[in-house]
Amino acid sequence: MTILNDLILPAGFEDLAPVAARWARPTENERNALRFEAGAADFAAFRDAMAPRLEALLDYLKDCPPNPEEPAQRNALMLACAYAEAAPHHELYGGSAEVPFSFDARRFVPDHGNDPL
Amino acid sequence: MLKDTAPLDHIRRTVPQIREELGVAPVSVKAIRDPQIYELEKERIFRKVWLKVATGWELPNPGDYKVKEMPVADTSILVVRGKDGRIRAYHNVCTHRGNKVVPNKGFETFGRARANVVTCRFHGWVFGTDGALRSVPMEEGFGQLDKACLGLREIACDEWEGFVFINFDPEPAQSLKDYLGDFARLFGGYPYHESTTAFRYSTVLKCNWKVALYAFSEGYHVPTIHAGSLPGFRGIEHSDFKLIGPHASSTIYGAGMDAAPSTQMFAGLLHGSEDHRPRPDQLPADINPTRRADFQFEIPNIFPNLLIHLASGCGYPGMSFFTHQFWPLDHGTTLWEGINYFRPAKNAAERAAQMHVNALHRNAWLEDTATMEDTFTGIMSGAIDEMQLMDQEFLIRHAALTLDDYLAGTLQ
Ligand code: FES
Ligand SMILES: [Fe+2]
Repeated sequence: MTILNDLILPAGFEDLAPVAARWARPTENERNALRFEAGAADFAAFRDAMAPRLEALLDYLKDCPPNPEEPAQRNALMLACAYAEAAPHHELYGGSAEVPFSFDARRFVPDHGNDPL
Repeated sequence: MLKDTAPLDHIRRTVPQIREELGVAPVSVKAIRDPQIYELEKERIFRKVWLKVATGWELPNPGDYKVKEMPVADTSILVVRGKDGRIRAYHNVCTHRGNKVVPNKGFETFGRARANVVTCRFHGWVFGTDGALRSVPMEEGFGQLDKACLGLREIACDEWEGFVFINFDPEPAQSLKDYLGDFARLFGGYPYHESTTAFRYSTVLKCNWKVALYAFSEGYHVPTIHAGSLPGFRGIEHSDFKLIGPHASSTIYGAGMDAAPSTQMFAGLLHGSEDHRPRPDQLPADINPTRRADFQFEIPNIFPNLLIHLASGCGYPGMSFFTHQFWPLDHGTTLWEGINYFRPAKNAAERAAQMHVNALHRNAWLEDTATMEDTFTGIMSGAIDEMQLMDQEFLIRHAALTLDDYLAGTLQ
């Protein structure tokens, strides 16, 4: 797992830098690759960091364009998208990286898999 | 004129009527199991009826094209928007010696014809987006060459509500309008074209195409298969049955589910947005006619291989509609395509929320697809000869009967 230490976050969200370094990635394929490697403790830690901050983060993102270019905005969106993808694994799937009783997710090909954001 | 505005009461069926009209007996699995039936399906269905292959908003500008591999008709097609704005379809086959005019990777490839021409890479023959053969290198070297007759081989192509359909029959027995019939009235008028944000997933399944189609054609499986991704789905009701010639439709109502905290946050954001909130008012008049608040989505089966699940933001938060298609690659192999359509996000928060809803729905699809290869293996084992179908599985019963009619030649 690569940690991205150069992710600048918007002012007021600096506390999320460690989870951003761990999870924020620009494409669905990259976010999925991280998710497939993660375990229940990783998902729980992500939830613990994000749950109290999600509302504020989304409020901030409401004022950003849907595909922002400004790095701090972009990183904030990447983080929100990573959480959008990962949260069900804690909240619904008991910490499993796979959807329980499911088809092999690696065989599902998203057309947009390598598109940024 | 009156006919176009009359209510569609004649397509509605009660459960007793469905049982009466379609029967209640078990349905044979022979059409799934027998490879020879697949050969007949290719000839009598996939080469005869209208098939959705694109949407207009995938090809917004003149010159935009899509190449789609169509193993079910043993060809590759080129769907392209011409200078005049019309979308046409051709065999992606060069009239010189048969090379692909537009080479492609995978099942679908998009591109842009510069200057409204496409050029075959083999010897450089140039075709217009109107199909005409424009130029031939060293033309004087051909002792005989009737360029006027050497345009791309055109395939019948028409649009309904921005969905692009083709028909491989050189002389289709019916127009697209007649083929869709009351389905076009039932589903017409929704602003499909506004939902240009599409998340498309595909996979190749080791099963007959009808196993995949049937698995997505009923609501009976929701409380069991989707216990993970749709926990506590309450009061699910699959009703409002409709029979529409070769097509059929019905409605899923439901009182909602136990949404997880993050889902509540993301959903709340979309529900609070003018563009993405539930819009029961935009549903065509004959879908959820009493405007029940617990409407989730309309689930039709458009023969032979298309589902357009119309939600208008009422089911999965923010989602306008989603489609499924099932393309046979051979008797026991199917390309499944699932596409979630949203209106474009206006800001980054809406974008993230759409990602969440899309991921949840993709996960539910992973639960659906989990059954298909096992079901096909089971049917191929010979252990069962029939499917037992309940009322909520009537779309399957109807599709199987329609298929039999086409194979027998009583419908075409
Ligand atoms: S095959 Fe296309 S130019 Fe020769
Ligand atoms: Fe399902």
